[in-house]
Amino acid sequence: MSREGFTGFTRGEARVSAARGVYFDRFGPFGKIARLPWSIILLIVGTGLVGTAMLFSVGWDPVTAAPSPDEANLWRDHITRLAVGFVLMIGLALLPLSAWSRLAFPAYAAVIILLVLVDFFGVMGGGAARWLKLGPIQIQPSEPAKLAVTMAVASFYQRMMPTNGQSPPLYVHGGALLLVLIPAALVFKQPNLSTALALTASGAMIIFFAGISMRYVLAAIAIGLLSVPAIYTFVLEPYQRERVDTLIAGITGESTNGLGESYQIEQAKIAIGAGGFSGRGYLQGIQSQQEYVPEQHTDFILTIIAEEFGFIGALALLSVFAFLFAWSFMVASKNRSWFGRLATVGATSTIAFFAIFNSGMVLGLLPVLGMPLPLISYGGTALITVMACFGLILSAHLHRDEKLSTRGLF
Amino acid sequence: MARRNSPEADFDRRLLLAAGAGTAVFATLVGRLSQLQLIESDRYTKLAAENHVRLVLAPPERGQILDRFARPLASQRQAGRVSVIPERLKDPEATLRQIAEHIDLPETRMKRVLEEIAASRIRRSGFVPVTVVQELSYEEFARLRVRAVEMEGVDVQMASTRSYPRGRDFAHILGYVARASADDLTRLAEGRAPEDLETFEELFRHPDMRVGRQGMERYAEDWLRGRPGRRRVVTNAHGRPMEELEQDPANAAVAGKDLYITIDSELQRVAIDRFEGESGAAVVLDIASGDVLAMVSTPAFDPNAFVNGISGKDYAELRDNTMSPLYPRAHGGVYPPGSTFKMVVATAALEAGVIDTKTRFTCHGRMWFGGRNWHCHKKGGHGSVDLHNGIKLSCDVYFYQVARLAGVDKIAEVARKFGFGEDWVLGMTGGRGGLVPDRAWKRKARNEEWFEGETLNFGIGQGQLGVTPVQLALMTARIAAEGKHFKPRLIGLGPEVPEDGDLDMPLDAEIMKLMKSGMFGVTSEPGGTAYRSGDLGLGGPRLAGKTGTAQVRNISAAERVSGVRTGDAIARELRDHALFVAYAPTDNPRYAISVVVEHGEGGSRTAAPVARDILAAAIKMDSGRTPAYSKRAATKAPATDGKPEGDPV
Repeated sequence: MSREGFTGFTRGEARVSAARGVYFDRFGPFGKIARLPWSIILLIVGTGLVGTAMLFSVGWDPVTAAPSPDEANLWRDHITRLAVGFVLMIGLALLPLSAWSRLAFPAYAAVIILLVLVDFFGVMGGGAARWLKLGPIQIQPSEPAKLAVTMAVASFYQRMMPTNGQSPPLYVHGGALLLVLIPAALVFKQPNLSTALALTASGAMIIFFAGISMRYVLAAIAIGLLSVPAIYTFVLEPYQRERVDTLIAGITGESTNGLGESYQIEQAKIAIGAGGFSGRGYLQGIQSQQEYVPEQHTDFILTIIAEEFGFIGALALLSVFAFLFAWSFMVASKNRSWFGRLATVGATSTIAFFAIFNSGMVLGLLPVLGMPLPLISYGGTALITVMACFGLILSAHLHRDEKLSTRGLF
Repeated sequence: MARRNSPEADFDRRLLLAAGAGTAVFATLVGRLSQLQLIESDRYTKLAAENHVRLVLAPPERGQILDRFARPLASQRQAGRVSVIPERLKDPEATLRQIAEHIDLPETRMKRVLEEIAASRIRRSGFVPVTVVQELSYEEFARLRVRAVEMEGVDVQMASTRSYPRGRDFAHILGYVARASADDLTRLAEGRAPEDLETFEELFRHPDMRVGRQGMERYAEDWLRGRPGRRRVVTNAHGRPMEELEQDPANAAVAGKDLYITIDSELQRVAIDRFEGESGAAVVLDIASGDVLAMVSTPAFDPNAFVNGISGKDYAELRDNTMSPLYPRAHGGVYPPGSTFKMVVATAALEAGVIDTKTRFTCHGRMWFGGRNWHCHKKGGHGSVDLHNGIKLSCDVYFYQVARLAGVDKIAEVARKFGFGEDWVLGMTGGRGGLVPDRAWKRKARNEEWFEGETLNFGIGQGQLGVTPVQLALMTARIAAEGKHFKPRLIGLGPEVPEDGDLDMPLDAEIMKLMKSGMFGVTSEPGGTAYRSGDLGLGGPRLAGKTGTAQVRNISAAERVSGVRTGDAIARELRDHALFVAYAPTDNPRYAISVVVEHGEGGSRTAAPVARDILAAAIKMDSGRTPAYSKRAATKAPATDGKPEGDPV
């Protein structure tokens, strides 16, 4: 079957797409804006606004019944970034996939250069060199790296996909793996274990979806599991090892006394548990309002949602994320180009990886690893990156019928 | 239609696989969420509540110290205090400058406050007020109070602070309180259980809390301190109070107990004034009760300066002052008693039976002994001298002979019966016992045998012998009371002073009567060394006493020849100390006194008039009348078993 005999068409959508194409031609870019999935966008922005509301709560001073002056910037910064991210997301959504694919390698190269620069000129923060100062703006190149790597790997497969309807040969997967591992290694060196893991995970997902034989998938999983003890002993820093120890102790119910991270996890669990079924109400979380949970505005923001809005609130939030990911998978499935499909699953995997890892960490199921909760946590670069990833997914939705050439690498 | 094995079809299958895995992850997360929020929620709710309620320490109010007639000597005074709450300051320096517009705020202090604010921000304890000025004058308080309303984060309020309304008058007796130092904590911590220590440290970190650093404030610390309470307060993770809860009365702070001392502060004032700026000491005792009615050490310092921390400069000034205002002369000053000691020597000889009232020695103004001349203060000599005249004329040659006959060890034994050589604590710090030398002491301390010549020196109260004004007053009181059992007291109502024993070793009343007769001669018979000081000026009652001159250094032969021994010819600090001990009235003794005027040169000339005026004042004011606390003790019967109940834990 030729590449034109594509799934989407055979399901009878060619006519609809053609009609939309006409619509687009007639009304220009505004028509395109009208065709954006606004209910999904509303969900994304709404989730971001939940973050703003929760950051307002984090900065609330229950004694004076007013925002604490030291922490009033939290929600203001967040909503500003959300607005910037929103504009960026819509802008990126309107970008045709061909443009995304063309930008992939330049973006990838730029990110690699920035990552190398960080290793030499990076600003130290939290014990690691992660930041790069560009005039008044501080950026964290490891965040845009998530998007750039996804684009690059997807574009790579787009160009290398055999035209004979076969799965790509093994060396193509090998090349993709290299594209993933170079930035992952640079990020790991900073050291920023969580982002390195995120890059590797979403890269692996793309390779998996690009059709690598299940034999290799299973082999990789087996090797991964077998190498866990070796990684624990030789790769992890002592503080990272301690976190794993604490986690295991927490899950098996041993005493976590004397383990460095136990206080944070314990306080997080108390906050979540104290929320109960329906929560204590907005601004009413005793554990949260009294600052017992460290890092509550960043990695542990789920605790204040769980305490103030209870099981209902936390479940609703997780469900919204689950729905967004399911919808993104639908977008991937319906896209006509390999770039669109793979970039969508890559971007989805990146966001999902953080959502899952963050929730797992806060709930005491995964080690504490500096993972923000997408759209909700305080932190500019991460928020913008997530919005950009959604921009890519929205673009893949909007341009699902766009045909991309498989013209080889160059 | 995509082929079943096409990569596109495979992609969709893998999407389903991933979606399945995602569903499993979602289920796991929701499962965990249910476990924490639905199943174990009660447990965590309880833990959360426990997290927040803290028992915040409430410092106790320190007990007052009052005089015999319940006049406050050390009390808690409300004083205006300005503090800032760091977390509410946008620009701490600007705020402090604003404050400085209304009150006196030195640049150095401002710098220190800014450092404290910076430190509290780092510690995340920005809610703990930082004191800017501990004690505002009333005008400053009133002015700032009005202005502070407009200044964010500035707190002006009344706070409890220790105050010594009589200032210098009681500095050496009461000492002072100060913020607890590491040394204070170590001292207080001794012998306490570790869990108490935490409370202790927490208590003394409180900005309102002070610890007795010197004097009775230190000795009676446990009595005065009281017991801290606990307030139930909801706090956040950093200890910041968020909400007051209902208080348990059983947990309220218990104020420290008041302490009464036996001194009449009016008599104390009269005595201090009488010194007219001279350095010296005076101790007045009530002969019947053993109460200390006045205890003067001049010059003194103002203890109020120490309460909120004295500046290094001010302290250096006190320390380096040539008049030594920090030195507690009355109970910590050791002087050679000079001739005031002669009653002890005479008593020793009479007890030993080596002399009687008729034993006579001839004084030629000097006596040859051990290869040198021993001089009498009267150049030409006193002629034939018996016991009465020996005391009345203070004949040195007579007492050289008496001392030789009695022997050093007998004199030392009797001196100890009078209370010499013992540190009379009386509830103060800084006291000293002085030294009563004897053969055993000399062997031990110097590894030498006692020389007979030293006994002669001992006989006129010179040499190694060192006594305090307190001891001299005790000696005089015992003579006046004709050897009756005696217990000196400075604390009227307060903790017991187990360090002090009773003066209960027997002294023969007949011998004491002889001493009194001699002392009466000194002040009331022509030729007595203080003949002019006998009349109290009250139209009747007289005093009986004994003069003394304590050599600050040895008199050289050249000076003895030239006669230049006194006056402006020699530097002040080399002049002799003038001493006088006395009791009054002579017919029915009520008050005993000892006076030391440092570098006053002659006991009769400078010390005796001081003693006379103080005794006259005591009689006139009836200082020994029933104290305020005795009624109190009888009716309310507070805990006087001496066990301090002020223990904080």
